[in-house]
Amino acid sequence: MAHRRCLHSALLHATALISLKKSPSLSIVKALTSKPNPGITTSNLEPSWFIPWSYIRHFSSRKSDDSENEAEMEESSDGEGESDEMASDMVRDYSPEEKEAEAAAIGYKVVGPLQRSDRVFKDYEPVFAVVQIGSHQFKVSNGDSIFTERLKFCEVNDKLILNKVLLLGSPTQTIIGRPILPDAAVHAVVEEHALDAKVIIFKKKRRKNYRRTKGHRQELTKLRITAIQGIEKPEIKTDGKPLKAAVKKPEKIAATA
Amino acid sequence: MIMICADGCSMIDRRMAFMESELPTFKEKNPQLEVVTELIRGQHPHLKGFYKNKNERVVCVKNMTPEDILLYATRLRNALGRKVVKLRTRHVTKHPSVQGTWTTDVKF
Repeated sequence: MAHRRCLHSALLHATALISLKKSPSLSIVKALTSKPNPGITTSNLEPSWFIPWSYIRHFSSRKSDDSENEAEMEESSDGEGESDEMASDMVRDYSPEEKEAEAAAIGYKVVGPLQRSDRVFKDYEPVFAVVQIGSHQFKVSNGDSIFTERLKFCEVNDKLILNKVLLLGSPTQTIIGRPILPDAAVHAVVEEHALDAKVIIFKKKRRKNYRRTKGHRQELTKLRITAIQGIEKPEIKTDGKPLKAAVKKPEKIAATA
Repeated sequence: MIMICADGCSMIDRRMAFMESELPTFKEKNPQLEVVTELIRGQHPHLKGFYKNKNERVVCVKNMTPEDILLYATRLRNALGRKVVKLRTRHVTKHPSVQGTWTTDVKF
């Protein structure tokens, strides 16, 4: 029993010494962290009930725990704050027109002026283009509607020019881009910015009492294609039947680097 | 185009804040819209959008901040009146083929 007490006291002294050694770093940490008093006051209150050596141990350990937690909390909160600030800054920095143009280039679109009383909707022309908008590619013709991810920097009834055209085709000619065609352009008009139907994401693990339900609505943009430029358009009015009848078509494939 | 009318209830103050601060700017930015405010007692505040295809969309804005109400109003303005259904295809076209639909008989 005496041995036990001696060992116990020795351990306690050792921990006290270790805590005392740690104290300068703790004090530095305390100076850095500007946390309010509640964490410290509780630790101040509790040690009064204990013997001095245990007082030292509890005080220091409590403070170390608190300060460590505080430091971690501070760092994490600072990180989140910085990331939040960065995100908000990223959103705000798009106001200058240069950065809007850059972002538009990433999304392969150039916003033109709003249309008012422009006759943009022409009759169907037998020309198609393969256009890429932000990792999705569409085979597009005059008068088609396309649903893409929500495009920033353009509102409803805005004219867009889609730059990234990979292929142009007509009944008599096909132009393949490597990978894009520099002179081609596809004009489109933003019809709407809408939300998709709700998709319920349901997760379940059986016999483990785990069930999660999450709803998600994707933001979409509907574009209507109005014109395709960069290829010679045939002026034949009856397009459907002669095309289907002719099996061999004179196709001139011009590969552009 | 689109007509939006905001109905209010006498209970919530945020609706008043929206009406005072956000509505005028919203009206100015969208001159093509007819914005009508009505006070209907006994109902929560909501936004009603009337679309050209005779579709009505109602959004309840109870206990929402003016920014959120503006967001919902712009969403109503941006959207067409079409029914919210899961999309079948992302590409809607009337003329799917230009050079002729491919079959196994087609030879290049």
